[in-house]
Amino acid sequence: MNSFTVDKIVDCKGLSCPMPIVRTKKAIEEIEAGQVLEVIATDPGSVADMKSWSIRTGHQFLGTTTSEDKVFRHYIRKSDPNEVKPDTKFPHVISNEELSKRLEANPILLDVREPMEYAFGHIPGARLVPLGKLEEEIPQLKSFADQEVLVICRTGQRSDMACHILSEHGFQHVFNVKPGMSEWQGPIETTEVKES
Amino acid sequence: MGKRVAIIASSGGIETAYKVLNIAMAATATDAEVTIFFTFDGLGIIHKNSEQMLSFAPGNEHYEEGFKTANIPPVSQMLAMALESGIKLIACQMTMDVAGLKKEDFIDGVEVGGAVTFLDFAYDADVTVTF
Repeated sequence: MNSFTVDKIVDCKGLSCPMPIVRTKKAIEEIEAGQVLEVIATDPGSVADMKSWSIRTGHQFLGTTTSEDKVFRHYIRKSDPNEVKPDTKFPHVISNEELSKRLEANPILLDVREPMEYAFGHIPGARLVPLGKLEEEIPQLKSFADQEVLVICRTGQRSDMACHILSEHGFQHVFNVKPGMSEWQGPIETTEVKES
Repeated sequence: MGKRVAIIASSGGIETAYKVLNIAMAATATDAEVTIFFTFDGLGIIHKNSEQMLSFAPGNEHYEEGFKTANIPPVSQMLAMALESGIKLIACQMTMDVAGLKKEDFIDGVEVGGAVTFLDFAYDADVTVTF
């Protein structure tokens, strides 16, 4: 589960502020919502700048890795303008707080975000099943069909779709966790980030 | 569409040029609408011959080497990027009259306006910076 795809790479090595941001802005316009941009930079200021820039512009800052020779790799996922508004379609919803309480019982928790989002921070025990792969994973999940299954993503939208898919496949007790990881205050686990 | 950033550039020199343009470029990359009002010595930054006109303030010459090693683009290139990103550059009419400057003395893309032209924008600005 350590591999993931990057859709575009922008090389800002040797460039000073504000050029990494200027290049990032240009590059993000050239990719589709949901795709991931990698920004390679040597400017130490870019570490804080990339995060602030992402928050300001509404894109999702996934995280930064630092190599031994002080090269920073920033990962940003382009947001869909509609994604920030959480969806309410699936009727069975639990809050982040409610999930916190239920965690002690080791529930079945599916994290339907992309592998890179998962790698940079997920709830301990959460099982990674990216939304796009959910249908093909159904046979492996079938044994949970009668149990309580909690589904989480970043804002509740992808998990909403996942809940629909699961319930169509006969899963009886599915709950969408809202808002999800974007406001999760509880324990977080990371896995090593390696490119495929 | 987000914030509005109004910048006043009233000093000359390479230092001011970079202070102004760095903030402006970072702001526009962060989806802000940016207007820069160039007045008094600040007009040198957008002059066609800015390369010859702009120098470091006495005592700051040591910056020159640093600018080179840090790979900072020249002012002319920063201005071109600024215009390309939609940053508005306004030259102060009153200073132009006083200094005998014409619109043709400035790089292409510069607009000429009075204080009210700038204030029109600045009244609704979220951030105002003066250099």
